[in-house]
Amino acid sequence: MTSLVNARGVSKHFGAVRAVDNVSFEIEQGKILGLIGPNGAGKTTLLKAVLGLTDFDGELSVLGLDPFRQRKELLKNICFIADVAVLPRWIRVTQLLDFVAAVHPNFSRERAEGFLSQTRVRSDAKVRELSKGMVTQLHLSIIMAIDAKLLVLDEPTLGLDIIFRKEFYGNLLNDYFDEQRTILITTHQVEEIENLLTDIMFIDDGKILLDKPMDSLAETYVELLTSGENVVKAKGLGPIAEHEMFGKSVLLFEGVNRENLEGLGELRTPSVADLFVAKVKGARQ
Amino acid sequence: MIANQLALIKREIWEHRSIYVTPAAIASIVSLIVLAMLVFASGFAKELDIAIFGASNLAGEAERRAALTAFFVGTSGLFVVGLAILTVFYCLDSLYGERKDKSILFWRSLPVTDAETVLSKLLTAVFVLPIVAALGIIATHLVNLITTSIWVSMKGGDAGLLIWGSVPLLDNWLTAFIVLIASGIWMSPFIGWFLFVSAWTKRAPLLMAFMPLILVPLLEWIFLRTSFFASAVWDRNDALPLFRALDFETFFEEEHWRTGIDNISLLDHLDIGQFLTSPAMWAGVIVCGLFVTAAIYVRRYRDES
Repeated sequence: MTSLVNARGVSKHFGAVRAVDNVSFEIEQGKILGLIGPNGAGKTTLLKAVLGLTDFDGELSVLGLDPFRQRKELLKNICFIADVAVLPRWIRVTQLLDFVAAVHPNFSRERAEGFLSQTRVRSDAKVRELSKGMVTQLHLSIIMAIDAKLLVLDEPTLGLDIIFRKEFYGNLLNDYFDEQRTILITTHQVEEIENLLTDIMFIDDGKILLDKPMDSLAETYVELLTSGENVVKAKGLGPIAEHEMFGKSVLLFEGVNRENLEGLGELRTPSVADLFVAKVKGARQ
Repeated sequence: MIANQLALIKREIWEHRSIYVTPAAIASIVSLIVLAMLVFASGFAKELDIAIFGASNLAGEAERRAALTAFFVGTSGLFVVGLAILTVFYCLDSLYGERKDKSILFWRSLPVTDAETVLSKLLTAVFVLPIVAALGIIATHLVNLITTSIWVSMKGGDAGLLIWGSVPLLDNWLTAFIVLIASGIWMSPFIGWFLFVSAWTKRAPLLMAFMPLILVPLLEWIFLRTSFFASAVWDRNDALPLFRALDFETFFEEEHWRTGIDNISLLDHLDIGQFLTSPAMWAGVIVCGLFVTAAIYVRRYRDES
């Protein structure tokens, strides 16, 4: 496995605020990594460092390049959607395709037009005439027509309705993703993407709280639903989080053998959202 | 690199439609006025035997040539005024607009450097805008020479001789072109300053651009009782070192002008060597370079979120 992104002790300060605090991680080719964190956790700052949009302390190599100093070279092989509203409102769809085709060596206009023909976006329309969902379709059509090694999506579906959101991720998986490509994605709506992620990373307060393959979560984390005196026994095993639901206690365990919990109640794999809340709360205590 | 520049400059023209709408508007207004004058003149022609350009009763050859040349220079002057205003607004919007609508994040997601982007805006301001204005001037001249020729022909005059033969067209157009390009280069420190303000200011670029140009001379006068900055800034436009010294008294005394043997050459009054060797011009280019470098730096290093 080749690692596309390699971060060693990356930090970024804004005055006294440490937006990203001594972070180290790797992203391997062919992965879909979800970067999950609350507002102000440092997600966007970290993405900006990866994209060469901001300078930073520490070592960071993306596709073997220094993102800040070799940004132009980097952006030939890396695409991003920073936020849905960023396409210039005055531009026409054809002009947009003309421009990207002129400056991007890895862009296929035919592919973009192919994707667009499946949408209701007219080629002579101006961006300002399109709905928010259509602008995202347009942006995604352009991005998917770029033969890039790494795709970075920062809250790509913010403000879109559920139909567009489902379609967005459907297109991404069916028409774009293959083992040659790598996707790094941040979102608040974690439940919508957890099925498509191969890896997951939690970040809070500039620090990484968790960085694991999705399929290892079931081995490490287990959720126990129980009641009565079993609750006391279970608590003795050191849950990292607990809450009440429908009169039952829900306890979340990290690295506890399932055999020790069996018999105490119903076992299941926690959702990413529950796990995230538990990890963030745990880190803040 | 060059392909990128062409694409970037094309994008500037798409985004800022005023680059061609302004010259087109001036051209239309001038043409309509000339047309109205011709219509008006023909109404009185029988009694007064007066005409705009081709009139035989204008005192003579020289006067007709002078009238035509004045029309040429006058229309060019309108374009120059339009160009100056357009350049100020274009520069101030060029790096501010993309931040205001947040499209900067899209532009910066493409493999184009900040230096290339800012350079394309500089090239647009210094060269593209003047070239479009020059094309507007040529088109306006042609349209109005044609309408006037038709008018003169309808009156039984020889338009070829009276209109087309009276002004050295290429000489005039080349002069307009050189003056426009030279003005762009001469005023480039202002273009650089406006680009920098456009890249840097968080709000009100027009105010931020002109406030220092007014406040600094004021403070200089209050505290130092000098007006070095004021004259460097506000007198620069009148000091374009492109024209030969013109002595108006002897100019009108000159024989060739009186007798009207030659057409009036505007090109004769330009001194390109003087322009190219002017220290003030080169100093301006350096100042422009410093401001543009600062604009690139701001676009590259400032975090927009």
